[in-house]
Amino acid sequence: MREFITGNEAVAYAVKLCRTPLIAAYPITPQTGIYEKLSEWEASGEIKGIMMRTESEHSAMASCISASLTGVRTFTATSSQGLALMHEMLHFAAGCRVPVVMANVNRLLAAPWGFWADQLDSLSQRDTGWIQFYCENGQEALDTVIQSYRIAEQVYLPAMVCLEAFFVSHFMEPIDIPEQEEVDLFLPPFDLPHKFDIERPGFFVPVVPSELYRKYKHMAQASMDSVKEVSLRVDQEFKKMFGRGYGIIEPIMLEDAEVVIVTAGSITSTARITIKRLREGGKKVGLLKIRLFRPFPVEAIQETLKGKRKIAVIDRNISLGGGGIFCQELRAGMVHSSDHPLIYSYIAGVGGTDVTPEVIEKIVFDATRRNEPSDPPIWVME
Amino acid sequence: MKVYAESPELMIPISFESTEVIETGKWGFQKPYTTSMIAPCEEACPAGIPIATFIYLAGEGKFREALETILKENPFPGVCGRVCFHPCESVCNRNQYDEAVSVNPLERYVFDTTMDLSPKLNPAPNTDPKEIAIVGAGPAGLSCAYFLALLGHKVTLFEARKEPGGVLRWGIPEFRLPKQVLKKEIQRILGLGIELKTGVRVGKDLSIEALSQFDAVFLSPGASRGILLGIEDENLIKIWRGIDFLNRINSGEQVRPGKVVVVIGGGNTAMDVARSARRLGSSVTVAYRRTKKEMPAISDEIEEADQEGVRFEFLIQPVKIKLLKNRKIRIKFQRMRLRKSSQEKRPRPIPIKGSFVMMEADRLITAVGEGVDLSWIPQALIEKEFLKPMSSLWNGKTKVFAGGDAIEQHRSVVTAISSGKRAAISIDLSFTEMNPEEVFSNIRVGSKGALSMEAYLRGRQTGIWEEPKGVVFYDQINTLFFAPSERVKKRRIDPGKSLRGFSEVHSGLLPEEAEHSALRCFSCGTCNYCYNCYFFCPEGAVTLDPVNQIRTVDFQHCKGCGTCAKACPRNVVEMRREE
Amino acid sequence: MVLPEDQPNLLRPGHSACAGCGLAIGMKLVLQAMGRKTIAVIVPSCEGAIGGVYPNTSYGVPTFHSAFEIAAPTAAGIANALKILGKDEIQVVAFAGDGGTFDIGLQSLSGVAKNNDDILYVCLDNEAYMNTGIQVSSATPSFAWTGTTPRGNPGRKKNIMEIMAAHYNPYSATATIGFPQDLQHKIVKAKGIRGTKFIHMLVPCPTGWRTPPDLSPELSILAVETNIFPLYEVEGGRRYIINHEPRALPVQEYLLRQGRFKHLTQEQIQQIQMEVDEEWEKLKNRARKSSGKR
Repeated sequence: MREFITGNEAVAYAVKLCRTPLIAAYPITPQTGIYEKLSEWEASGEIKGIMMRTESEHSAMASCISASLTGVRTFTATSSQGLALMHEMLHFAAGCRVPVVMANVNRLLAAPWGFWADQLDSLSQRDTGWIQFYCENGQEALDTVIQSYRIAEQVYLPAMVCLEAFFVSHFMEPIDIPEQEEVDLFLPPFDLPHKFDIERPGFFVPVVPSELYRKYKHMAQASMDSVKEVSLRVDQEFKKMFGRGYGIIEPIMLEDAEVVIVTAGSITSTARITIKRLREGGKKVGLLKIRLFRPFPVEAIQETLKGKRKIAVIDRNISLGGGGIFCQELRAGMVHSSDHPLIYSYIAGVGGTDVTPEVIEKIVFDATRRNEPSDPPIWVME
Repeated sequence: MKVYAESPELMIPISFESTEVIETGKWGFQKPYTTSMIAPCEEACPAGIPIATFIYLAGEGKFREALETILKENPFPGVCGRVCFHPCESVCNRNQYDEAVSVNPLERYVFDTTMDLSPKLNPAPNTDPKEIAIVGAGPAGLSCAYFLALLGHKVTLFEARKEPGGVLRWGIPEFRLPKQVLKKEIQRILGLGIELKTGVRVGKDLSIEALSQFDAVFLSPGASRGILLGIEDENLIKIWRGIDFLNRINSGEQVRPGKVVVVIGGGNTAMDVARSARRLGSSVTVAYRRTKKEMPAISDEIEEADQEGVRFEFLIQPVKIKLLKNRKIRIKFQRMRLRKSSQEKRPRPIPIKGSFVMMEADRLITAVGEGVDLSWIPQALIEKEFLKPMSSLWNGKTKVFAGGDAIEQHRSVVTAISSGKRAAISIDLSFTEMNPEEVFSNIRVGSKGALSMEAYLRGRQTGIWEEPKGVVFYDQINTLFFAPSERVKKRRIDPGKSLRGFSEVHSGLLPEEAEHSALRCFSCGTCNYCYNCYFFCPEGAVTLDPVNQIRTVDFQHCKGCGTCAKACPRNVVEMRREE
Repeated sequence: MVLPEDQPNLLRPGHSACAGCGLAIGMKLVLQAMGRKTIAVIVPSCEGAIGGVYPNTSYGVPTFHSAFEIAAPTAAGIANALKILGKDEIQVVAFAGDGGTFDIGLQSLSGVAKNNDDILYVCLDNEAYMNTGIQVSSATPSFAWTGTTPRGNPGRKKNIMEIMAAHYNPYSATATIGFPQDLQHKIVKAKGIRGTKFIHMLVPCPTGWRTPPDLSPELSILAVETNIFPLYEVEGGRRYIINHEPRALPVQEYLLRQGRFKHLTQEQIQQIQMEVDEEWEKLKNRARKSSGKR
């Protein structure tokens, strides 16, 4: 079924298709579209379950974690300030190994105030132990939510599906909505080996000695690591069933590229057009889209960027004192590369500023003319 | 690195093992011990009735068990529940909080409710029963017979009159103690196999020497001779002795004392006489040489008499009686005043010279005390005008004991019962090698003379004598756990109506009143399963078993905080330091 | 009265509460009245310490040790999940301390009460942050000594029952360990009501209140009898029922037995007495006025 809907509505459709019975949320622009759509379906009975209208995002995540441990599939959605408020509980969710799926609409963090797209909110949470996907458009958001449930419920780690404020969340496109029967086949019923059991009463997540804490973290790291492989497999299965696949990274026109642009999210769509145009103009330039951010797909990236000497990472975020975060992760991943590529960090789109084809061209030209390493982030203003 | 046992498939730490393996009992340096103690009421009761226990059982609705508890120490709950002077209530700890517990009405209630039940009396097995004679089937004699039968001995009870009961049958009026009640109690006692021979007066129908065929003898002839006033003209027909007056009424005779009656005396006999005379149509004045405060009668009885229209004249003593031509008598009274004496317990009445009062009456009834008829008893057993309680008889073999009103002791029904019990134990001990003094000090209930038959039976059977327990005082009771409440007021027939006949005046407690009264008992020193220690233990280390009456504390986990001891309202838990 | 024959103790011995801990008594009584078909939520506080260190636990029901300020929504999540699974005969109880209820947890408790999620929330009030030492909270009474108010608390205790009544939740009640039958009766009553039930339980703390370890039940009785902590229920935020007629003892009977009030001056005691009397009058009025309502 094809519908002309926003990215937010697409996410809501995915949640409905996954038959998620417990949804806890708190409204925040620009997430409200998801919340309201789900409320509409709960009122009409199209969604069978309980919607918890909590008094804060922190409580929403708390409810999702405990509901998950009781044995039901859960969902929440938030953005920016709300995600920041949830921070404590994000760590807690990963520590409880619950497969909660959350949609985060990437919005800038105050102060000062604004509602525009910026990836810093979810990137600030990269240490919390959540799987993170960055979606290019509404269709991908819908499909990634469905895939995330499958992945999360296999490795028992929570997953975050990120879509940018307004550029994806409010942008309307024709979107393919899968059939319920197909999704039922794709997604097995929810189960959790460590849920509450009246017959065998235990004290869940007590105080533990250091060595035991380390052990559980070690086990969680192994599970997180396996996500790279698991999500690739799940994506391939999804493609087989629904006809659409995304991979965990996507190389575009990389074969003989002298400069590689690395993007995530909606900037990728603009970059596709720009790179095509530049190629038509004879420029040897390529594009790498990063979809899975946590765990960072180091091996796949190392493999894909073999032989490439100049890489320009575009970050719609700035970690003050550190630089663009995608670039940091990529540089760390490429540190042992025998090609010693020059990796430049470009900051574009912070605070929701528009990243136009001209901006991307500027970046390509700037990267082309540089021949020396340059560590600090390069801000690109229009 | 330590390895912890857990299921390999778990992803998060979950504790399944109980903390019970951690011995937190090692934290503390003191532990609670169950220490039962005696309540002051139990000490004050001459019969040593386990009052806290029977009230607890009554409160639980277990009336048969409550009756059996009382019967272990007192064969006359129905009688005492009506006529006892209840020293228990005077010392009740609850007096100092709001009002005393209604022990006496509860004793009566237990009897009344179980009238149709046959309680289990469990006489002890005895491989060498002795033959024992008892002279006088009054409260002391009947009690002695009862306890000897419980000890497995063979008892023959001689009673001079045609029916047993002594003062209970022939002295106390029907309106205080119905004959039905007495009959039931005596039946229960005789049901133990005691041989009763009525109409046999020892000294007349049977010589006292004939008693030497028995292994032991208990003399309890009672005090049935009214004491004379000691003034001239005393043997006039118009002057009756109170004890004879009551006797005649209790024999079913139609007695007519006359329109105006004066009673001399201030004790229970005087009250019984006055109230009986009222019922026979007389207007009655009681003349007493001291004041109301010093009257030895039970205060309830004085109040009853007052309500029934008996007039009281205090501080007068009769000095002369003259028979008048109109067949009345004129009594001349000397006015008295009280002089406090440091040596004597009660103030002395001193005549006020020249001050007199005259009264005219149809009858003068004296109730100034009863003497004992000792004419039939060998001199060796008499000291002053009282029997010596323990001695051996003429042939050197038969042991002789004495008790009741005939020996020198406070005169009341329960004291008589107590002396019967003491004699029964003494008799039993005299056939063993045990040291009576030692035994008595082990079985005592407090320090006022009461003895525990149950403790005696246990020690006699097992050879184990427990340390006698101490008494719990008011400051050891944790009154915070009790809400203030009132005692149930005694209900009685309207005084006007009650004078029409000799029907019982008081009607006893209603079931809800009995429950209320039972729940007011502090249960000093006896655990009544209030479950405070169980609820208030932070470790959950206390277990209670009310069925088997056991309290256990898990010392492996008890941290010795002392909360159970502090929160026990009745001082049953004591903290002791551990080494 | 829930006796051991009906329901065993579900707070097993061997836990690390201080000797004489009133909170342990309170939790034990609540869990016993709740029964085995219960899932409990614990937060970091003394009850977290009582729970035990891995691999041992003193709780006889499945228990979840969640974060500090979210006892209520955590419990609400479980309750809603149980409803979805069709297992809503299993009760959910959230335990939090006074800090986790009056201070940091107030917002999330309010959110849950607004939604009327089906949980029983028990606030174990020992009137300060005791697990972390002894620090003042907004449940600490006036003038009390704590580690962070060494000259006496300048603040006044919040009236949490009135805050909850303002949410119109179906059932709230005060309870304390000195009245165990009343406490357990209220728990059993709450079990039978759907919606957010709130119990404000006063649990004396010998360590923090500076009292000997054996006094906790008596202090809680005195708190009730001096009107400092009246026993009452609120139904629907509108109907007030007073459960116990107090003996109206003077507040000194309660205050001066505790080390944390030892330094009180006469004026302070009088002020406390005045405040207590005023609140008691207000409560009686509410009870009187609402006695006809349902």
